[in-house]
Amino acid sequence: MGYFLFRRTLGFVLTLFAVSVVVFAVMNVLPGDPALTILGLDATEDALAALREQLGLNDPLLTRYVHWVWNALHGDFGISHSFGIPVAGLIGERLPMTISLAVSGMIFTVILALVMGIGAAANHRKPGDWGMMFISQLGIAIPAFWLSMLLVLLFAVKLRWLPPGGFAGWDDPVAAMRSLILPTVALALVQSSVLARVTRSSALEVMRQDFVRTARATGFSRRRILWRHVLPNALVPIVTIVGMQFAALVTGTIVIENVFYLPGLGRLIFQSISNRDLPTVQALVMLFAAIVVTANFIVDLLYVVIDPRLKARA
Amino acid sequence: MIELQDFSVSFKSGTALRQASLAIRPGDRTGIVGESGSGKTMLAMSLMGMAPAAADLSGKLVLDGRDMTGADDRGWEALRARKVAMIFQEPMTALNPLRRVGDTVMDPLRLHLGLSKAEARARALALFEEVGIPSPVERLRQFPHELSGGQRQRVVIALALACDPELLIADEPTTALDANVALRIIDLLVRLAEERQMALLFISHDLAAVARATRDIVVMYGGDIVERGPTAEVLTTPRHPYTQGLLGARPNPVAEPRGADGKRPRLPTIPGSVPTLQDLPSGCRFSGRCPVELPVCAGTRPGSTLISATRLANCHALKQEVSA
Repeated sequence: MGYFLFRRTLGFVLTLFAVSVVVFAVMNVLPGDPALTILGLDATEDALAALREQLGLNDPLLTRYVHWVWNALHGDFGISHSFGIPVAGLIGERLPMTISLAVSGMIFTVILALVMGIGAAANHRKPGDWGMMFISQLGIAIPAFWLSMLLVLLFAVKLRWLPPGGFAGWDDPVAAMRSLILPTVALALVQSSVLARVTRSSALEVMRQDFVRTARATGFSRRRILWRHVLPNALVPIVTIVGMQFAALVTGTIVIENVFYLPGLGRLIFQSISNRDLPTVQALVMLFAAIVVTANFIVDLLYVVIDPRLKARA
Repeated sequence: MIELQDFSVSFKSGTALRQASLAIRPGDRTGIVGESGSGKTMLAMSLMGMAPAAADLSGKLVLDGRDMTGADDRGWEALRARKVAMIFQEPMTALNPLRRVGDTVMDPLRLHLGLSKAEARARALALFEEVGIPSPVERLRQFPHELSGGQRQRVVIALALACDPELLIADEPTTALDANVALRIIDLLVRLAEERQMALLFISHDLAAVARATRDIVVMYGGDIVERGPTAEVLTTPRHPYTQGLLGARPNPVAEPRGADGKRPRLPTIPGSVPTLQDLPSGCRFSGRCPVELPVCAGTRPGSTLISATRLANCHALKQEVSA
């Protein structure tokens, strides 16, 4: 167990290190001169040279990489070129928005998927199963940005139940929640369709196993068996997919925040790329990657919590 | 107490169990033998109300004074564990791998008997002791993968006994176990049945196991009960041609010494193979493979012939012999 934790933690740290190298390398081989971008085309050669020196662009790559990582570990991601304020502050302001959206999307995904998937498995080869399969097929086929527009048209423009976009701020929690509903649904529907199918097939496989028959022979109702015996045993593939989907949800916020005008990291990264705001883009790409790697790390740990047999082997 | 009268299980493709009649009383230890496809597992699953959903049941299945032939899931759920319980062939997969075995055994105690957690735990502990699980306190907290095959089968037995069933059905309970472990499990089942005055229905294709576990035996072939009687008598003087063939096909290294060429004589076999559900003959199921077949056999189902006060066989040839 201790060895398992050590190995997984080491893997986690090494992955983050590799990610940081790749992110740094990609950002720094991009064509274009950051100094020129900041000062504009009519800047003097002296001013450009001075700025390059100030930004540390003349240092060797390795020095700049170590410098970047060292500062980042201390919460300093440099100054945003386009906003002129520290990148850490920019991220700090927008992080709650994106995290709320991703977490509410994940919760919505998991609840909807488990109910649909287990429900379909319980009604295997009956109309309930077919209906679920049809709906989830539809959910997988519809692109999130198009679904967003349909949702806005129906619930905001026609029915006027929910705001079409924008964010009222956290001061009014009810208004904040209301502006999160449509983005959450748009973000999560595809993912929950995928997860519902995984849940269904995983549950069907477990339902064929002998211990389910034992539970039936012990006088348990089908419903009780589904939640007590089938679902826990079906969890390993479900958790694997959930980990991957959390990554998809976090990156999915880039599109959704732009469609719904939400002030989160997704919109920030979009603006920063348009403005060639290198420090901000670099920090955000690193952050998104770190979130994905962390999600996978947590999934690895969850396996052991779910299945005691892995603990013995781990 | 438990009675089948002309009980049949049929599917679109054929009849898996045909007009079976059987009575099981408290303390009875009855063996059911037959090849795969003989209907013995179908009979057992029917007694649990767990025949496949596509099956069409007819005749009578009387349990707890009620005909359960048309009963729904809820009706059966009330009887399982409390009236009839079952243990299965494969102890390695019969237990939920993610649940501690103590919790698994406590589940029915809490659900059916409404015991508190502490009461259920004490009861589970007593059950573990009764089925001979060493250091039961530690075992309660273990997961199935931490136990050996024999230990797991004991846990499965403890689970089946939890709510004091009147009938315990054991479907090939020893087939997956080592020979010496299997013997101890058989002896345990016999002891439990005697101590608890519980009926035991022991299903196996292993004739030695059945001989050790049971007093009475039912031989099945192709969905029919073909012969029944006291175990010792049926196994020593089989009367139905199928039972005779089945017993003749057993390897016996002691009784059959090597010949002059250093080889043992070839085992006698029953010619042909068990027909599939669709190809079962409409009369005697054994017709076509039977060495003493009469013209009547293929078309007419043989009724029961009384061979002695305690023995019955369903065979046209035997009927002629007895009445002659």
